Amino acid sequence: MLAIGIDIGSLTTKAVVMNDGQLLASEVSNTLDEADASASVAMTKALEKAGADDNPEKYVITTGNGGKEVSFADGSKAITTCLARGIYWYAPDTRAVIDIGAESSSVVKINNRGRVIDWANHDKCASGTGLFLQQMAKLMKLSFEEMSELSRRAEKGAEITGTCAVFAESEVISHVHRVPPTPLPEIILGIYLSVSTRIKTMCKRIGAGECLAVSGGVALHAGLVETLEKELKQRIYVPQNPVCVAAMGAAVLAGEEIKKELQQ
Amino acid sequence: MIYAGVDIGSRAAKAVLLQNNTIISSAIRDTGAESVKTSEELLNELLNGTGIKAGEISYTIATGYGRVLVPYANENVSEISAHAKGINWYFPTVRTILDMGGQDCKAINCDGNGNVTNFVMNDKCAGGTGRFLEMIADVLDIPLNEIGTVSLSSNHEIPFNTICAVFAKTEALRHLRKGVSRADILAGLHEAIATRSFNLLKRVSIEADFAITGGISKNSGLVAKIAEKVQMKPQLCDDPQLCGAIGAALFARDKSAHTNRTKMQYGYEDGTGSYFISLDEGLCDGCGKCADVCPAGIFCLVQRDGYKVAEVKQTAIKRLSALCPGFITCRTGNHGVTCKNVCKHNAIEHSW
Repeated sequence: MLAIGIDIGSLTTKAVVMNDGQLLASEVSNTLDEADASASVAMTKALEKAGADDNPEKYVITTGNGGKEVSFADGSKAITTCLARGIYWYAPDTRAVIDIGAESSSVVKINNRGRVIDWANHDKCASGTGLFLQQMAKLMKLSFEEMSELSRRAEKGAEITGTCAVFAESEVISHVHRVPPTPLPEIILGIYLSVSTRIKTMCKRIGAGECLAVSGGVALHAGLVETLEKELKQRIYVPQNPVCVAAMGAAVLAGEEIKKELQQ
Repeated sequence: MIYAGVDIGSRAAKAVLLQNNTIISSAIRDTGAESVKTSEELLNELLNGTGIKAGEISYTIATGYGRVLVPYANENVSEISAHAKGINWYFPTVRTILDMGGQDCKAINCDGNGNVTNFVMNDKCAGGTGRFLEMIADVLDIPLNEIGTVSLSSNHEIPFNTICAVFAKTEALRHLRKGVSRADILAGLHEAIATRSFNLLKRVSIEADFAITGGISKNSGLVAKIAEKVQMKPQLCDDPQLCGAIGAALFARDKSAHTNRTKMQYGYEDGTGSYFISLDEGLCDGCGKCADVCPAGIFCLVQRDGYKVAEVKQTAIKRLSALCPGFITCRTGNHGVTCKNVCKHNAIEHSW
């Protein structure tokens, strides 16, 4: 029986297929208007990758935005639980995971068994989220890789308050138009620092201080992770496939359910 | 006498000319990236067709975000005071003002003289500001000045659970893809902004009468929604966007009357010498520090033409030489603190 975890994010939907604790395949696809459609597209593709039969026996657990609305799911779990389990599967000695998604960022504190102790979430506004970074990248006409590369050349960050993504945009524009203009690397580092400040406050709020890991699409922003490491004064673990951590957690939980069923 | 008020906002720059208590000319243009250039152009536009030359303006006061970047302004005031002053000129009964600008939103309480008594401000987040509406108008492809009327034609409002401009944009796009009408989306967004503005208003005291100023108050759909929440019909001036500039021009008029005031002399001459304290009321800003530090307590504050100024107490004038030791003696006796050196405008002189 296959254990399947599906994480429906605001921008992308992630599906992970596992069998008996082994990762078979993972898939990332765009989120569509309907939760059902997004989930089934991602799952079908993931099953294809895993080389499964047409209609295999499976146990599906969903999570994320609209995870409860998926009709073919056997269960749905909170995103925090899934994040905790997912990162525990990758690195069991992690004690807190920083998740930066497209429209929210959160920090989840976990214990030595991969259970959630506490969490802080920020989803009220775009500052400190992936959408904020995406908008900045678009504004400066740079790719995420180019931004990361440039940020390493800066010695100090430009001042960007980052309390609002819209206002940050005008702040960046005014840095560009300043006489003399602020160098691009400094602006980028400033953007990273403003996101880091958001994350740092959340970490402080729940007392997450050591053995940190990152997940979510923004974890692919190497420059941001480096800035976070500097700001939080420690190494931060980046899993192999940071985007799929929550889906992985859902799949792990599905596997546990399968085991329970077999025992009965 | 002609006075000018210039309001350099975050998105739009406004200016008015005031003569004999009437607005004789006004101008509005985009602020753009170069405030200094904009303010020069604004002045030209303002004078254009009036037959008045720049030199004939007796006093100019600037306000708004770019107030320090107006080269021809004599002085500047905060936009909060300017809006209160401006609305008081139109509607003296107004006590609560909601100023909705391009990049911020303020709730202001003022008294019958147009003095600010309390205010709260949101300038940290674009939700509910002009920028927010600009972005939405852009996404929905409706001219900014029409979104209000379009929103009024909605009959099935879509609830929005976010006020973040970035999220609202993506949410609006999602609704558009599902085929929701633009009017319904706009009605939902207007409702969200009205709720936010109302929450801001609740943090000051909502007293009658109520007025809305700033560029957003030209949006009839939003004004209707706010009126519904506040349960008061808002007062709107002819052009609510000019309110700050009008306030600044009124400050210019007052200030100019203020600087025309003379030096006051208090005291007398007798056989032992002349004892006069002179107080330049044109310089005095009514801070009251002289009254606080004087060991003999001879100063007091009075209201004159709506301004606070320091004065020598009537009871003290006839006994000045007995009460006041003169500031040189006073300085040694009072640890170096005297009325003369606490006055940052150097408005006080002693003749002995």
